[in-house]
Amino acid sequence: MSAVAVHGVGTSHFGRQPERDAIALAHDAVREALTDAGVDRVDAVWVGTVFGPAGVAQRTLRALGITGVPVLTVENACASGTTAFLEAHEAVRTGRYGRVLALGIEQMSTAFSGAITPEPSDPEQRGGLALPALYAMSAARYLHLGAVTPAELAAVSVKNHAHALHNPRAQYSGSYTVEQVLGSRMIADPLTVLQCCPTSDGAAAAVLAPATGGPREVRVRGAALRSGRVWDHSSPHVWGYDIVRDTTADALAAAGLHAATDVDVVEVHDAFTIGEIVTTEALGLVPEGAGGKAAAAGVTALGGTHPVNPSGGLLSRGHPLGATGLAQLAEITWQLRGEAGGRQVDGARLGLVETMGGGVSVLDGNACVVAVLEGP
Amino acid sequence: MPHAIGADPRPRTRRSPDGRWRVAGLRCRACAEVAAYTWPVCPRCRGPVEPADFGPTGTVWSSTVVRIPVPGRTPPYALAYVDLDDGPRVLAHVVDAAEPATIGGRVRLTAPTADGDPRVEALA
Repeated sequence: MSAVAVHGVGTSHFGRQPERDAIALAHDAVREALTDAGVDRVDAVWVGTVFGPAGVAQRTLRALGITGVPVLTVENACASGTTAFLEAHEAVRTGRYGRVLALGIEQMSTAFSGAITPEPSDPEQRGGLALPALYAMSAARYLHLGAVTPAELAAVSVKNHAHALHNPRAQYSGSYTVEQVLGSRMIADPLTVLQCCPTSDGAAAAVLAPATGGPREVRVRGAALRSGRVWDHSSPHVWGYDIVRDTTADALAAAGLHAATDVDVVEVHDAFTIGEIVTTEALGLVPEGAGGKAAAAGVTALGGTHPVNPSGGLLSRGHPLGATGLAQLAEITWQLRGEAGGRQVDGARLGLVETMGGGVSVLDGNACVVAVLEGP
Repeated sequence: MPHAIGADPRPRTRRSPDGRWRVAGLRCRACAEVAAYTWPVCPRCRGPVEPADFGPTGTVWSSTVVRIPVPGRTPPYALAYVDLDDGPRVLAHVVDAAEPATIGGRVRLTAPTADGDPRVEALA
């Protein structure tokens, strides 16, 4: 078994770019990642995509001159890119392949005119539960329980849009007020449009290989994947809470860490404001019921005790589903190398990535991946 | 709906001989798990299951109103997760609701929507 390191990362710009196809988006990400790693070939590729058509991985890679090597496509909803990373990591760790490319690709603006079309083979999506409504149910429940206030929900959006001011790759950024967030167009009560991630196109990539102790290598301390279990309706928690908590415990154990509070910077799945609040609690960064207060008090902002989503998160950087996990990984890699510019978390040495794939009826999620990384 | 698919996956509501609407689901004979679906084994423990009807009354666990266009739907429409009494949590549309249904409020299954969605009405 080998210690595994991220040797290079790269991404496209994130945003609505319907004129750019998967090849163009992936080219940006892969070229940057290979250059960053200082290599020109890989032994295998794992590709994460959700709505990519059949064959998109090989069609894309052939245009980048990556042919012949094993190419495997994985789908785990929003956690697809992180799943590709997890599998690439495992392949290197076990010696199956020497150097592996993990790539996430998603072209959403040409697939949907607005919100993602609910999947008709899923009972609740067939019943009209669009993804914003799924998260709105959690937000409404938190409000009912007094576990969050509308202003605390909005604080997550204010924070992440402000973080993205320092991220030139982000789809959106801005200096919003809580009032502006709450006053924006209602999507699904209580979530307003500034509390929902946008429709995004993008790609992100990482090169993984055995750790050699190089000065720019970011070591993978531990990674874990869980699929959803039957959502326990006697649980006090909203959907997603338990799977994030349990996957985090697995990843921390693999990393030899006691708690998520041991890490210096995290990128989490904030497809909607309530998602970041639930996740910071489930990770154990803040006590249960304290996620909203932490966001409002600046605890999870740059400069706070536990900075969350310095990239701007899904809310602002954008959320090209299959690419998101690797975009999160790229951000943590830059943070741990001290290359994050105006959004750098000072002295960050340990980082964590969490991605939650949601939206399968009866289950408390589709899949969750958590990874812990350590800087050079 | 965006496009036709084979079987309709949604929970099936039907009118019992007493005139009340109930969801046709399952109960596990091993662990007593309940679900609003007629699946072959228990999703929690893989134990044997038997058919079970749930409802008509329940409590709203959470609720929302969808105000954006969703393919095949006309906004706004109100949705609720309803914990049926001694039964599963089901997604239901809410009759005549311009605002989200009251969480913790009591509701009753009624005839499904024209689109075939389980539906509830608030009890006074």
